[in-house]
Amino acid sequence: METRSLGDTGHESSVMTFGAIALDWLEQEGANRMVELLLDRGVNHFDVAPTYGDAELKLGPKLRQHRGEIFLGCKTQEREYEGARRKLERSLDRLGVDSIDLYQVHGLEYEAELDTITDDGGALEAFRDARDEGLVDHVGLTSHGNPGLILDAMDRIDDLETVMFPMNPVVAGKDGDEYDYEAVFERAEAEGVGTLGIKSFAKGPWPSTDELPEADRPYANWYEPVDRPDEIRERFDFAAARGLTSVVSPGDPKLVAMVADAAARYDGMDEAARRSLVERLRHEDSPVPEQLHH
Amino acid sequence: MDVPETVRTALDDRPVAGKTCLEAGAGVGNATAGLLAAGADRVYAVTNDSDHAETVRERVGRDAAERAAVVEADLREIPLPADTVEVITAHGLFNVIPPASLPAVAAELTRVAAPGCHLVVDDYEPPPDDAPVRDLFAVENAAAELADGRPALTFYPADALRRLFAGYGWGFDRERTLLDPVPWTGSHVDAHAEAARESASALPDELGDPLSAEADRLADRIGGESVGAMYSVAMQLSC
Repeated sequence: METRSLGDTGHESSVMTFGAIALDWLEQEGANRMVELLLDRGVNHFDVAPTYGDAELKLGPKLRQHRGEIFLGCKTQEREYEGARRKLERSLDRLGVDSIDLYQVHGLEYEAELDTITDDGGALEAFRDARDEGLVDHVGLTSHGNPGLILDAMDRIDDLETVMFPMNPVVAGKDGDEYDYEAVFERAEAEGVGTLGIKSFAKGPWPSTDELPEADRPYANWYEPVDRPDEIRERFDFAAARGLTSVVSPGDPKLVAMVADAAARYDGMDEAARRSLVERLRHEDSPVPEQLHH
Repeated sequence: MDVPETVRTALDDRPVAGKTCLEAGAGVGNATAGLLAAGADRVYAVTNDSDHAETVRERVGRDAAERAAVVEADLREIPLPADTVEVITAHGLFNVIPPASLPAVAAELTRVAAPGCHLVVDDYEPPPDDAPVRDLFAVENAAAELADGRPALTFYPADALRRLFAGYGWGFDRERTLLDPVPWTGSHVDAHAEAARESASALPDELGDPLSAEADRLADRIGGESVGAMYSVAMQLSC
């Protein structure tokens, strides 16, 4: 599988990152086999979080067995020093490892949170102390919030080394600053910050719970995902061809092997084909007014 | 007012900011939206279809009302003075211009163009022979020919339009592929089937009914299809 430089971290990440939340839906033996499958396909970048049920615990055994082959990302939703430190220690404990390669601010959503994180006594101070102690190697941020907020965070956090944000053709077709993750990508590229794409396989929101109760959804994803091999492939190609360091696999384990296959076969997607995908999905969302042209 | 990637890509190397522009065949105003977003000083959205004119007026809205004017006119008789427009777009226009009208449209666009004017022609290469959408377009054309005496759609290769405009003094600047493949989605296919049915409804039943039925059958069978390519040719009028 192709690898790419994760910004200036010095790490070469596989073009697919395993979103280890998928392990939470598997029994231990299934989780073990999933990790083996991904390593076999050439995936070397894993991403987990303490909020993903038992994913950390289920990743633990195979992570320890193959520690040298896996670049491990983890993250915390804690915004203050003490909480972040506690969560980091808990993750190290649950994963059963001595250090985490990339520790990220998880799910940044509000400007006020950014203030807390960057202030004295904020989470970043805990990240930096942990880095000094060798518990953490690199510092990153994840968000599917406002692109402007992510840009702010990049301005304000000098030692930020990676960002994780949405890269999706439905979103790419929409105008407006609230959809402008392109700006995030371009800034990250210019500053040597590694880029990890999420929501690449989202087709759209689930139907309302009246129409489809949560328990009846066929996939354990926040959004309804695409699920045919050809769709998975074009979504993967779309995100990878934009130049992201790595595309994060979706949360449902049923989709992960298909994504790994798409990643292993990845051989680029030219601009006209990327626009073709954006164009096709643009019309799917807005059947009115009916159009004859593109 | 989302600007399609196709329009954005076609315009991103054109000097639009501060210019007087014209969208020839405004449709739903995709290029008008793109020209306004790119900082055009003024945009004339020219269309002979009153529904399209209304759609563009609504789309442009109050925000850009001062910079955009929807002009309901035939492209062979544009109510603008000669030598006044600095950027012209024909985004998905020429495939609905029958061959017999091409010279008149090209001449009129050239008339309103100022010396040094930029022209961007975005359109579709002829779809491959074996593409099912081609059968649907054929039915649409058959119905239109019988009803109106002209085809509904003609797909001109990029080269053909480039050479046509060369004859009116336009120099070739560049060509880009906007879409490859072209996503003819379910809603496009349905819209073309509807256009075929509309033409067919003007014909005697024994002629129109089979064409309508064939359009329905094809639309149903095709669903959506991604095939062919859409190009963008940029030209400039000699100064």
